[in-house]
Amino acid sequence: MQHLDPDRLVLLAFAEEPGNDDETVHLARCPGCRHDLASLRQVAEIGAQGPAASDLPAPPERIWLTIEAAIADSGRSPAPVRRAGRQKRRWLIAVAAVVLAVAGTVVADRIVRRAPAETVIARATLAPLATVTAQASGSVRVLSDGEMRVEVHHLPLTAGFHEVWLIDPDDLTRMVAIGNLPDRPGAVLPVPPGIDMNRYRLVDISDEPNDGDATHSGRSLLRGTLTN
Amino acid sequence: MDSDDELAACLRDGDEKALRAAYDRYGAAVLYLAQRMLSSRADAEDVVQLTFVAAWTGRDGYDPRRGTLLAWLLGIARRKAIDRMRSAARDDRLTGIVRAQPVPQQEAERPEGIVDRLVVADELGRLPAEQRRTLQLAFFDDLTHPQIAAVTGLPLGTVKSHIRRGMASLRQRWEVDGAASGSRSTGSSRIR
Repeated sequence: MQHLDPDRLVLLAFAEEPGNDDETVHLARCPGCRHDLASLRQVAEIGAQGPAASDLPAPPERIWLTIEAAIADSGRSPAPVRRAGRQKRRWLIAVAAVVLAVAGTVVADRIVRRAPAETVIARATLAPLATVTAQASGSVRVLSDGEMRVEVHHLPLTAGFHEVWLIDPDDLTRMVAIGNLPDRPGAVLPVPPGIDMNRYRLVDISDEPNDGDATHSGRSLLRGTLTN
Repeated sequence: MDSDDELAACLRDGDEKALRAAYDRYGAAVLYLAQRMLSSRADAEDVVQLTFVAAWTGRDGYDPRRGTLLAWLLGIARRKAIDRMRSAARDDRLTGIVRAQPVPQQEAERPEGIVDRLVVADELGRLPAEQRRTLQLAFFDDLTHPQIAAVTGLPLGTVKSHIRRGMASLRQRWEVDGAASGSRSTGSSRIR
C-alpha cells in the first residue's frame, strides 16, 4: 500500500488543495494516514490561533518581587508553599485589624493634611451584575493620597442608598465599607489608610435599605477588581 | 542556562537565578493562561506568583523526560487557577452574604486549549528562522505555499520542506507536552 506523501499531507491539512480520488480512497482505508492528517490539521488550527509572540507581553516586575519574597520566606530548603501563604495571610489579617482600629481617628487627620499628589495607584472598571441593567457602569480610581474617586452611571434607583465596599475576593465575608454615594455621578471617598488593596481589591457597590443594619444587604449592583 | 535542560538542571540544584530565567522565559505564557482562566487580573497575577513559588519548592518533582519545563509550569498554573476558581465558588456558597457572581464572567476557553496554543506557539518560536517565518506566513497571514514562495523569494520546494519539517516539530511537541501537562488526560485518547 502506497502511503500519502508527507508534503501532500501537509497541503491537505492546510486545506490548500483538495485530495484527489486515489488519496481519498487511500485515506478511507488507512488509519495511519488518516490519523496523521487529523493531527496535522489540529496542529495547523492551534498554530493559527496563536498567541503570536507579540501577544505575550512580559509580566510586570512586581510579580517577581512577590515570588522572591515568598522564596526568601520559605528558606532555601524545599518547604510546602502553603505555609508561606498562610503566614502571609495571618500577617495581612493582623495588619488589616490594626489598620481598621486606627482608621477612624486617622481619616479626618489625613483629609485635612492631604498631600497634593494626584498619582493613581489603583483603578477598577465596574460592571453590572446579572440582575442589573446592562447600561449601569462605573469606574474607580484610588489616588496615592488615599482618596477614592468613584464614578457611576445608570445605577438603578434606590429607596435607601448606594454604598461602596472593598471586599476580599478570597473570603467574601471580609469587607470594608468605604462610604455612601451621593445623588450624583461622581464622588470622592477617603480610603482608610493602610488598607491592603491587594487583598481588599474587589470594589462593590450595593443597594442598601435604610434599615439600620450596617452589614452588606447582599444586593450588589456593580463590581470590579482593582489593579495597579 | 541557554537550553531548557541546563535551566532545569540548575533549578533542581537550587539555583535561584534559574528560577528567574524560567520566569523571564515563561512568565508571560503562565500569565496568559491564568488571565484567560480567571476574570480578575489580580487573581491571575497571584496565580503566576503561586506557580513560580510552587515550581521552586517542588523543583525536585520536575522530570524532563515527561515534558518540557513550559508544559510543567503550565500544568502547575492550571491547577492553581482551578483552585482559585473553586475557592471563590465555595466562599460564595458558604457565606450567602454576597451571593452574586464576583465579576461578570466572559465566555471561558477550555484551559486545555489554551495550554495547547501556548506550547505550539513556544515551539514555533524555537524553529530555525526560515522555517518559523514560512509557518508564520501560513498561520497568521493565511498564505498558500506558492504565495509564501513569492513573498520570501524561496524556491517552492524549500517552502514545502520548511513547512513539512516545521509542522512535524510542532506536532511532536504538542503530542508530548499536551500529555505532560495533563491537557489530554481525559477525553479522546490518542493513537501513537
